[in-house]
Amino acid sequence: MEEVLKSRSGDAVKKQKVKNIIIMLLPIAALVVLFAVYVAIILANDYNLAINLETIVNQAIVLVLVATGAIFIFTLGSFDISLGASTLFSATVGILVFNATGSLLLLFLTCIAVAVACSLLNSVLSSVFHLPMFVMTVAMLSVLTSIAGTIITTNSTSAGANPAISVSDSVLRDILGSVDTVWFKVLILALFAVVCIFVFNFTKVGRRQKFLGGNPVCAKMTGIPLSVYGIIAFVMAGIGVGLGAAVNVTYTMSVSTGTASDIGMSVFIAIVFGGMPISGGARSRIYAAIVGGFSYIILNNILNLLLSSVDGRYGYVQIISAVLFLAIVYVASINYRVKHLPR
Amino acid sequence: MDQVINTTARREEILKVRGMTKTFGPVVALNNVDLTLRKGDVLGLIGENGSGKSTITSIVAGMQKATKCDGMYYKGEEWKPSSMLDALDCCGKGRGGIGMVVQESGTIPGITVAENIFLGELGQFRLFQMKNGKSFGPVRRKKLFAAADEALKKAGIEHIPAKAPMAALDFQSRKLVEIAKVILKDPDVLIIDETSTALAQDGREILYKIINSFRGTDKAVIFISHDLDEIMDVCDTLTVLRDGNIIRTFERAEYDPDEIRKAMIGREMHGDYYRSDFEPACGEEVALKAEDVCLGESLKHVSLELHRGEILGIGGLAQCGMHELGKVLFGSLAPKSGRVTAGEDREVRSEAVAIKYGMGYVSKDRDVESLNLSASIKDNIAIAGMDKYAVKNFLILDSREKKYVDRQIDELSIKCSGRDQLVQQLSGGNKQKVVFGKWIGCGSEILILDCPTRGVDIGVKQAMYRLMTKLKGEGKAILLISEELPELMGMSDRILIMKDGEVKKQFMRSRELTDADVIGYMI
Repeated sequence: MEEVLKSRSGDAVKKQKVKNIIIMLLPIAALVVLFAVYVAIILANDYNLAINLETIVNQAIVLVLVATGAIFIFTLGSFDISLGASTLFSATVGILVFNATGSLLLLFLTCIAVAVACSLLNSVLSSVFHLPMFVMTVAMLSVLTSIAGTIITTNSTSAGANPAISVSDSVLRDILGSVDTVWFKVLILALFAVVCIFVFNFTKVGRRQKFLGGNPVCAKMTGIPLSVYGIIAFVMAGIGVGLGAAVNVTYTMSVSTGTASDIGMSVFIAIVFGGMPISGGARSRIYAAIVGGFSYIILNNILNLLLSSVDGRYGYVQIISAVLFLAIVYVASINYRVKHLPR
Repeated sequence: MDQVINTTARREEILKVRGMTKTFGPVVALNNVDLTLRKGDVLGLIGENGSGKSTITSIVAGMQKATKCDGMYYKGEEWKPSSMLDALDCCGKGRGGIGMVVQESGTIPGITVAENIFLGELGQFRLFQMKNGKSFGPVRRKKLFAAADEALKKAGIEHIPAKAPMAALDFQSRKLVEIAKVILKDPDVLIIDETSTALAQDGREILYKIINSFRGTDKAVIFISHDLDEIMDVCDTLTVLRDGNIIRTFERAEYDPDEIRKAMIGREMHGDYYRSDFEPACGEEVALKAEDVCLGESLKHVSLELHRGEILGIGGLAQCGMHELGKVLFGSLAPKSGRVTAGEDREVRSEAVAIKYGMGYVSKDRDVESLNLSASIKDNIAIAGMDKYAVKNFLILDSREKKYVDRQIDELSIKCSGRDQLVQQLSGGNKQKVVFGKWIGCGSEILILDCPTRGVDIGVKQAMYRLMTKLKGEGKAILLISEELPELMGMSDRILIMKDGEVKKQFMRSRELTDADVIGYMI
């Protein structure tokens, strides 16, 4: 009997390992499939593949940069609804500094510094007032959007209805243009992703973040205070937002009140697409931001192409994305509930 | 394989399970099990952690589904509850179903006791009741609290107010609320899964009274416990499970503790259960000191010294303040006055500081305070010991981490499919071993153990007692908080008995010390 049980148990261990690998690879497989579908649609319609792929990278890179940093917040089981507002605000300050100095380095440093400051304000205030972090981010969303809107309106260089601050000086535009390349952006993303993966997986800080997200009470009883690691998470997210804001300025060479307006929700959807558990914790992965970010953008582009002749296309794309988001969360939660049953 | 209770063979079957199998990923929790329960029975299920006791009862109670089952019958009809509520509701018949009090906490902390008792049924208390049975409007709280008070009274629990927020109750009281919630539904089969270890003597008396009210009637009880003396005392028959199989059923007349233990673990138990010496012994050096510590009504001017190489037992009834004392000593609760110091006058102000000073804390509420259930064994053991294996106190290398974790798994003989297995898939005893591994691995010199053997089978208990003796021998200081007197007397060099937040009496280790000497100071 024992031998039968052992052999059955051995088989089940193998099955479980295979299942885990499949679950881990599923988001990557989904990205590959989406990419293949996208390429097929482009080729079938005789569109220029190179240009369209470059567009994908340009659209995705800001989202992925912000999402990669935000993984640290989501790992804690929290979320930051003000990511978009923070991106807008840092891009606004960044473009003003760039217009004044013409320095690329200062553009990046300013964007990062402003975004980190916003993030720190979120986490420190929530710690001081003993409020959940996401509650602070809701307030910060309004505050940052208003301040950025005021700055943009006051300093608008646009004559149209939509106020915007642009880089109008041709020399400055050339400077921005020099780094507006796919390779530069991919390099920025790669460097940031490597730093995040290192911190997340190979340092005490990252391990503690994941543990904290899984059970904050137990983490506290293990000497891991939420306030400290919350601040670290928001700083990492701030760096991602800053980089995203700076890259956005190099690409668009302008900032309007609509810049990055939907990035907060897009980040949320993207990381779930990438296989990140909505509850954070031990199963959190940095690659979820990268895989999910690209999947989300490619999916949006596919839907836009497929629905190109339909009125109200934007609405349909959003609804389909939302349904897919719910489906993924539902399937993930079923998997979680099954595992969570007591013995 | 079918275990029918012979002495009650005249009685009608109330529950019958045939060919039940349940697997959890790689683990076979139940292997083609048959079980029959008859009216009037109080059936005990006993077995080591992971033997399948909770699995079979949780399937019967609708908490989960069997992987394979040839048939499950309740009162002669096919039994397929879709949920625990459905089972309690007798699959839509209203009353007379199967109710289960689960091993770990099954209440919601953010609401009142009354709301917990009537969870999902608050409609009956709403202001407007429609003829079609629907209701709307605000909940009439006065009526709700009155009904909840009545439900608590029905279960014999009169000291818990229905208005009280659940989070304000201690572990025992939360368990009692769960019992009241189940009893309210008048189940015909009551399953009590390893609940008594969460209860002090007064709570146990309430539970036993409820069990006795089922005995010899048309109803039945399945009682799961690791306490062999208790289960032999409470149950008419005992069914032993091991590795998902039913090994043997003992009639009361056949009860023999050694035989039952042998059936449980599949071998004879050798050696001493508790410490074999009866001489109190400890080092000179004070490892942990509490001076005039006060914490509301829970702790009143408590002072104590814990020495290196000493096991200091803290005993009393559940609400005596001993659990709060453990948390104050570990820096989790800030005392209103007084101070706690570790070693040479280093004040313990938080958990992080306590850990820095070499302290570890095993909580009574293991699943919430000591473990991250959704993480792996590796994550749980490694988290407290990163200072031990991190390169330059910063860099975590997988190889070093695995080596560190595997050492704890081997030394504590944790039964698992591997270090990456999720902790939530482990049995109670193995979960507790993971908690021990977490604190021992990082080299804790001072261990605060709050009910460390709660929900743990005798095999693991013996292993833990041996481990505590070994740690004492290595000069570690151990504070053992326990609601089990035999454990306190069997393991401690000194015992402090607490009542109403105060230390009432100190006993030194002695062969002559008996329960009767101690109990008088507890009650």
